[in-house]
Amino acid sequence: MDAQPMLKVDNLTKKFNDLVAVSDVTFEVRPGEIVGLIGPNGAGKTTLFNAITGLYKPEAGRVTYKGVNITGLLPHKICKLGMSRTFQVTRAFAHMTVEDTVRVGAYNRCGEKNVQAKVDQVLGLVEMEDIRGRVCSDLGLASLRKVELARALATEPDMLLLDEAGAGLNATELGAFMALIQKLNRDYHITFCVVEHVMQMVMGLCHRIVVLESGEVIATGTPNEISANQRVIEAYLGKRAVRC
Amino acid sequence: MNAKTLTSRRNLFLLGGVLLAALIPLALGKNQYAMVLVTTVLLYAVLATAWNIIGGMAGQLDLAAAAYLGLGAFTTGTLLMRWNITPWLGMIVGGITAAGLAFLIGFPLFGFKIKELWYALSSSALVEVMRVLFLMWDQVGGPTEQYLPAGLSAWYSLRFNNYVPYYYIMLVILIAVLILTTRIRYSKLGYSLLALGEDEDAVEVLGVNSQAAKLKALMIYAFISGVVGGVYACLYGYLHPSFFSTSMSMEVAILGIVGGMGITYGPALAAIVMVSFREFLRANLGGGMEGLYLVVYAVILIVVALYQPRGIAPLLERGIKYIKTYFGELRHGRPADAESR
Repeated sequence: MDAQPMLKVDNLTKKFNDLVAVSDVTFEVRPGEIVGLIGPNGAGKTTLFNAITGLYKPEAGRVTYKGVNITGLLPHKICKLGMSRTFQVTRAFAHMTVEDTVRVGAYNRCGEKNVQAKVDQVLGLVEMEDIRGRVCSDLGLASLRKVELARALATEPDMLLLDEAGAGLNATELGAFMALIQKLNRDYHITFCVVEHVMQMVMGLCHRIVVLESGEVIATGTPNEISANQRVIEAYLGKRAVRC
Repeated sequence: MNAKTLTSRRNLFLLGGVLLAALIPLALGKNQYAMVLVTTVLLYAVLATAWNIIGGMAGQLDLAAAAYLGLGAFTTGTLLMRWNITPWLGMIVGGITAAGLAFLIGFPLFGFKIKELWYALSSSALVEVMRVLFLMWDQVGGPTEQYLPAGLSAWYSLRFNNYVPYYYIMLVILIAVLILTTRIRYSKLGYSLLALGEDEDAVEVLGVNSQAAKLKALMIYAFISGVVGGVYACLYGYLHPSFFSTSMSMEVAILGIVGGMGITYGPALAAIVMVSFREFLRANLGGGMEGLYLVVYAVILIVVALYQPRGIAPLLERGIKYIKTYFGELRHGRPADAESR
């Protein structure tokens, strides 16, 4: 492992008026890792993602990516540094084709000359060449999640943040999606940070897990450590369930 | 599908259209009213095509076309009246001035991500602000018409005694703007704008600077409108603050929407159909029923909004496809599979 973490979040705090959505969160993601971010609904996972990727400006704390302070930087500048993301509720470009959607991302690093080659490469990678001409509003959920992943991949990121990419997928789709992420991690050395509710995906995919509850980190560890952690079980199931 | 033959066939169609448009004055040249009409159609076609960049592609409902057009007109006219600078140069300066205004307006609006209704209201207010400003500004504007001088030569001061030259100037501008918007549509800017029209946050995390992209779009649109404004001033032969017209701005946006948002030739098509139709109605219903043409116009809008919300361009495309399939069937005995996507 490299000494320097890929992503380092220090004491990050994000408030909405009086509501503290993310409170003093500290964690890091090392190069080549797949880190899972889990927690009950409303724990602040998506808010944390938004604060990291520049969609929200945090009130306090610091986000460092590859040694550069990116706290409060505009999203497009963070993307230029090599970090992109997907969204919890798919936000595909409804009236655009799959190919054109991917092209928007591909322009991040490519000029007019080599953009098509990049689009073709990414579509091949996620195995969507057969539906490249389809309009996004015609696609099912599994394809939409792949389109979002593809357009983020086209920006040539070193790190991807996936917000509940597994939600709503059936077992077959989930397996394929996990295999794809593993392939990208292993063969293309992309570091991942994933917010996930689907435990099958978290346990099968992640090297390390960070658990959030009410905006605070309550545990960090390997999947095995986390699944045995008392506080995590309490957070998910309540105290009584643990005592019984 | 063979893309190359398709493009070359499309180019052939375009060439045919251009030739046809170029021949119109030969047929109508003597009829002044008809020439004003076709020139007006082209004027709206240019404005609506340019509007498509900011309205159709970037999805910003801009209602300020006449603010830029008027500024271009006043710049061109003032340069001619005061310093005898030819409108050929004046309209370029007018375009640049309009683009400068667009920068001043767009920078804060896009920085604060003003969209939809709020953007529409702000841009609409701009037209009114400009109108009042030029009404009060006696040095260049004022409440009375200022007639442009005829000057030494018609070509130098762009003051002709018939409408045919204006028609050709407008046609050349339209062709140039159509080529430009098609270029933009299939470039980084075009794809970014189209995506921005759908979901701004999602585009920004893909590395697109939304403020810069929209600002570019607005400035290109304003530049074109400003240049057209220069021709507009010469065409009418005078300057007046009524050039800053809210209803004209509205109509440009309507043409852009009816034509098909983001489809490059859609707004021009809508201008040809709708403006001709409007003038036809005005001429035929105008006598006894003043203003009735607006009612008919409104009904068309509602019908389009209800049944063809993506505009009339997709309808035309479907029609052409249908005809192609129909003739394909006649020739081959079955539908052409290659055409289906």
